[in-house]
Parts: sequence; structure tokens; C-alpha cells
Amino acid sequence: MRGGLGLVWAAIAIAFGLIVLQGYFIDLEVLRGVRTMVLQWAVVLAAAALLLGVANLLAVHLSKIGAQEKGWPYSAMLVGALVVTLLVGLFFGEESPLVLSVFQYIQQPVESTLAGLLAISLTLGIVRLLSRRRDMRTYIFLITVFIVLLGTGPWLIGSNGGLHQLMGEARAWLSQVWAAGAARGLLLGVALGATATGLRILLGADRPYGD
Amino acid sequence: MGLRDLLGIGILIGFTVFLIVRTGTERRWPTTLRALPAFDELRQAIERAVEAGQRVHLSLGTGTLIGSDSGPALAGLTALSQAAELTLESDRPVVVSSGDGAVAAASQDALRGTLGRLGASDRFRWTRARMLGPTPFSYVATLPGMLDSERVSVHVLLGHFGSEGALAADMGARQHSFVLAGTDAVPTQALFYATADQPLIGEEAFAAGAYLGAGGMHRASLRVQDLLRLVLMIVIVVGTLLSTLGVGL
Repeated sequence: MRGGLGLVWAAIAIAFGLIVLQGYFIDLEVLRGVRTMVLQWAVVLAAAALLLGVANLLAVHLSKIGAQEKGWPYSAMLVGALVVTLLVGLFFGEESPLVLSVFQYIQQPVESTLAGLLAISLTLGIVRLLSRRRDMRTYIFLITVFIVLLGTGPWLIGSNGGLHQLMGEARAWLSQVWAAGAARGLLLGVALGATATGLRILLGADRPYGD
Repeated sequence: MGLRDLLGIGILIGFTVFLIVRTGTERRWPTTLRALPAFDELRQAIERAVEAGQRVHLSLGTGTLIGSDSGPALAGLTALSQAAELTLESDRPVVVSSGDGAVAAASQDALRGTLGRLGASDRFRWTRARMLGPTPFSYVATLPGMLDSERVSVHVLLGHFGSEGALAADMGARQHSFVLAGTDAVPTQALFYATADQPLIGEEAFAAGAYLGAGGMHRASLRVQDLLRLVLMIVIVVGTLLSTLGVGL
């Protein structure tokens, strides 16, 4: 019975996958309509899944608070912030200045701070890289990073000099010739890998939706 | 239907036929996988984590399941099944996180399906597959707390990541975890090269299933990908030569 149900899920997934896939190649009014409808269903389901995700998030953190696990005050803050934001949104509407200010004065600054932290993380990561993997590829990576950094930003002194101009040209040559060529090669591999993953699902060999 | 559409359909049909035929012959002529130290080290790290009673964490990224960035998350779901199998005997089985509700739901389903197939349905907890935050940076903001509280020693990133991926990998490194990271976005792959113990380059993220023992079709698809890559390389070189010689197509 369980295996039979699994086959039904697989058949549904394959059928809907093929309906969406054909839309990229066959431009027929009827098929286009069906494809659009299926994609709209997917969007609605994804929105419903977001609610499930939030419920999951709440369950995880409420259980941490209940068990007084390590770091439970942070979980309490998260749950409190979630409930307050939800209530403010429900009572005042998503376009209200209060809701917008939550995003503008809390979420955006926090996310921008994290983005700023990226520079420090990468610098530390490169230092760790030197101690972790000392091979030719790492040295090429580091030299390239150094040249691109020097060729990108203004220098404290000598920004109008010939050396700065030379670095700028080296940077352009590296990014437009070597990096662009290598990126295209990598993208080709990524596209083939993604296609293979999709085909395995369409053939029913991979069933990420469970049995 | 234009020439490009026909070509696209032809490539897809060719890919599918090769994949089916190669899978059929996989038992007789098994694909030899080239050595990828990243996956060898991952297996060893998982074994160490199981023995030490520490957690394996798999991140499926911050991409969605219905967009063009779903590919690596789907590959990650295959890796999740394999990781669940490898950590089945552990006191602390694999935990999986994502930054999208649909991916989290799919990961819960994949985990439940795998444990059911292995006869360990009672070990499934729906909180083992979590959505940490709905935006990329809210996802990474909650990651350190989870890595710390779950005593994670193997931190695997297999999914779509933007620049936040570097922070996610770095947080694992700060936790002294083994970090393996792969994604579809090329700029993020460069960030992973600097921050992960074992970065996966190019399509290696999609090969996780084959290297973790997911089955014949995974191994066969690697061989077919290599074949198609060779065909595409020949087409590119011939096209470049014809274009250089002034022959228009």
C-alpha cells in the first residue's frame, strides 16, 4: 500500500514536471495556460509552506524555552519578536508605518551589519586558508585576490600613478578574460548537473517528496 | 517552435536516453568515480561524529524550491537521505536546515521517507528539519545558535547560497566543525573556497548523491554529464573556428 502510494506521488510529480518543462519549448495557447496555472498553484503552495516553516520555527524555539536549553533567552527573544511583528502586521496592516519601521529600523540594519561582517569573515577565512591548504591553487587564489583588490579601489597614495593604472589593467584582464572564461566553464558544469538532477526527478529515480 | 527549441528538446531527449541506457549498463560496466577528497573526508568526519555523539548538520541553503535556484537544494535532499542513513546508529542523528518554507517541508518529507525506508520511523522528529529564517541573512543570523546548541561537528552546506554562504561556512569553522560547502552560484563558490574546509567547485555539488552511495542512476548521470560536456566542448571549438574563418551559421 505504501509503495503504491509512493508511485502515485511519483506519477503526479512527473506529470506536473513535464507540464512545466514543455512550456519552455512548445508555445501553444492551451499548454501555456496549463503551465501558468500549475506555476500559480506552486506559488500558493510555497506561501502555505512558509507558514508551515514559521510553525516549525516556533515549535523548535518553544521546545528550547520549555526545556531551558542553552541559549533559551535568545529563543524567547525570537518568539517574542515574531509574535509582536505578526500582531502589529495583523492589526495595522502590512503597509502601515509601524510595520514598515520594523523593517526599516530593525531588520534592514541587522542584515546590513551581517553583510558588513562578511568582509571580516572573508579576511579571516583567507588567513585560515593559508594554514589549512598550502598548495598551488591557494597561492594563485591569494595572488589573484590581491591583484583584484589593488586594481579595484583607490589607494591612500599614488592613485594617479602608473602602478595603480597597471593594477587596474591587470584586474580587468583577470576578471574579463580568465575569470569570465572559467566562470562560463563552471556554469556549463552546473547547468549539466542541474539538468541531471531534474531528469532524475522526472524519471522518478529521485523522490525528494518522500515515499 | 524555433531551431533553438528543437535543439533544446533534442539535448534533453538525448540526455534522458543516455541516462537510461547508462543506468541499465551500470551493473555490468560500473562508472569509476574520480577521487574527490571532499567526499572522502566527509564520510570520515561523519563516522567520527557518530562515534563521538556529535551532530551532522546539513544546510539546504537560502534558495526556493520553485525557482531556478532549486537544483542544488534538490541535490542536497539526496545527500540528506544518505546522511540520515549514515547517522542512523548515532544518538544524535542528522539535523537539516533551510531558509525557505517549501524546502523545509520537502526536507521533512525526505527525512521521514528515508527513516521509514530504513525501518526507523520512530526516530523521526519534524523539528530535525527546520526553517531557520525566511531571508538569507536572517537564516545565517540564527545559524550559530543552532550549531552551538546541537553540538554540530560536521557542517555541510549543499544548496543555493548568495554572499551569506560565506558567513554560514565561517560560522561552522568558528565552531571547529568540518565544513563542506557546495552551491550553484559561481561567485559563492569562490567565497566557499576561502571559508570552507572542503569547497565543491562547479558541478561537484550535484555529484554528492553519487559519491555518498545514492545508487546507479546517480553514478550513471555523472558519466552522461561528462559525455555531454565533451560534445559541448567540441561544438564550442568548432563554432569558434567557423566564426574565426568567417563562416556564419
